[in-house]
Amino acid sequence: MNNARRLLSSDSRYVIVVLTPIVLLIALFIYYPAIDTFGQSLTNRNLRIRRPPKAVGLDNYVKLVEDEEFWEVTGRSFKVVLITLPLEMAVAFGIAMLLNQRFPGRGIVRTLSILPWMLPGVVNGFLWGWLLNGEYGALNGFLYQFGLISEYQYWLREPDHQLFWVCVVQTWTRYAFPTIILLAGLQSIPDDLFDAAKVDGANAWHRVRYVTFPLLLPSFGIALVVEFIAAFQIFDVVWTLTAGGSAGGAMNPFTKTLMLYNYELVFRDLRIGLGAALSYIILAMSLAVGVIFVMRVYNQGVQEQ
Amino acid sequence: MSLGLRGPKFQRSLRLGVIYVLCAIVLIWALAPIYWVAVSSISTRRELYAQPYKIWFPSQPTFESYHTIFTQGAKFRDGSFSPTAHLMSAGLRNSVIISVASGAIVTLLATGAGYAFARMQFRGKNAIFLLIMLMLPLPIWVSLIALFFIMSRLELVDTLLGLVLIFVTLLLPLAVWMMTTFVRDIPSEIQDAARVDGADRWRILYSIVLPLARPGMVAVFLVAMLTTWNNFLIPLIFSRSDDSQPLTIVLTLFIGQYEVAWEDMSAAAVVTMLPPFLMALFFQRYLVRGLTMGAVK
Repeated sequence: MNNARRLLSSDSRYVIVVLTPIVLLIALFIYYPAIDTFGQSLTNRNLRIRRPPKAVGLDNYVKLVEDEEFWEVTGRSFKVVLITLPLEMAVAFGIAMLLNQRFPGRGIVRTLSILPWMLPGVVNGFLWGWLLNGEYGALNGFLYQFGLISEYQYWLREPDHQLFWVCVVQTWTRYAFPTIILLAGLQSIPDDLFDAAKVDGANAWHRVRYVTFPLLLPSFGIALVVEFIAAFQIFDVVWTLTAGGSAGGAMNPFTKTLMLYNYELVFRDLRIGLGAALSYIILAMSLAVGVIFVMRVYNQGVQEQ
Repeated sequence: MSLGLRGPKFQRSLRLGVIYVLCAIVLIWALAPIYWVAVSSISTRRELYAQPYKIWFPSQPTFESYHTIFTQGAKFRDGSFSPTAHLMSAGLRNSVIISVASGAIVTLLATGAGYAFARMQFRGKNAIFLLIMLMLPLPIWVSLIALFFIMSRLELVDTLLGLVLIFVTLLLPLAVWMMTTFVRDIPSEIQDAARVDGADRWRILYSIVLPLARPGMVAVFLVAMLTTWNNFLIPLIFSRSDDSQPLTIVLTLFIGQYEVAWEDMSAAAVVTMLPPFLMALFFQRYLVRGLTMGAVK
């Protein structure tokens, strides 16, 4: 009895020691500031103007929703999502199908083909910016050498093209994650199913269409959720590819997505109240998708035991 | 033995042939931009700026650009130098300190907590776990705005300590989640036996869990290090000077502020991506396992 009580108290001491720093850090650095940001979103705090901030209720939110630039930027973010996700899934599905084949050297191809995912986003933006450079870029050199273009192109000059290339570079940065998810999904499909389909006379296309694809839907679901958040909150890649003005100059308006707009409002224009409100609108928009993800993690994490 | 074009042997090599052609396309897509920046960084300016460009490997490879960025700073287009000689070395130092420190601290914290979540029952366990995990998928952006003002009040803006604290916090959910899973996968019989023998939790953690959870800890450490090294947004907000600016920031300064030579910027990009690149080559198993965790299980 005495022994049991001693064990119990040493157990709680252990729990307190290991969890206190974690809970403190998360409370002080994540939850408290999150609440504080919300509080700021209800004020007209603006560090450019020397006056004490006043409570303005939901004015900032109203102001944003009535602002044309907000809708422009939001539309652009959704455009990035709508171009990037299909592009990414197509690339990932193709590579996953290839890596699901058995052939000598598969391991090396796999390792090399998911490298871009592990590199810093700002480097990826830079790599492509240099590749697409109108004067000295490798893409021009390559296409010119093979006679595919007759003169050098400025790939990043047209605003529409800029956004398209942003999506391409985002795809290049992120396609490895869906590839891995889809490959894991493919490898869990039993071979018997294909054999059975073959016996039933299904050709290769039908087997992909009616066996592989339906069974991969859950994997596609996971990949889409994660990639939605990544594309919706795109930042690093844009910054070095097309944003311009990293030293405080004006930000390129043609590729200004929600996160860049929000950064500009808070840390360039110092309109803290308005920027805080925008950050909560971005959160709300991501939340719908995010909640599904939390539920998965939580259900598997604690209740699995 | 005339099997002709329909023979099984031919079919097999045709299949392999198609596969290798497709592999080549995939590898060009994945690696061409990396190859191009590596080649740019060891090219002489004359060759690199040739129009039309048609040399896909420099005729006289040179490490001049690497020497330049570390000793003289970024080069202006007219040939003079910007006063940034120490930016690269300071950035490299800061990147190494921030990512190694964050990785080590988060691994230690997560291992202790992972054991508690995986093997112990205590009041508030589910609530605390949810509190930690809730921030995993949520954008931390809403916290960063107010956090900036908190950090300036604490005088932690533009300090390595401040950055490490933020990174540790941001990495905690994934790390705790990973370690909880790893510890749960360790058979509990030995731990139970040790408990009966009267060993306390610290002892079990140290002499039984730690040795068995080492692969998990390595995975957490590597993922944390990679994530920290690659991050840009956090130092963009919380760094002001070379006291704390990591390489990702220095690279963007090179790109934006000065009209710098591309061969020098390429060298800076290569330095910035070399550690993640090598980690991805040699420790990919660990990294993939960690980075996809929570999404697939």
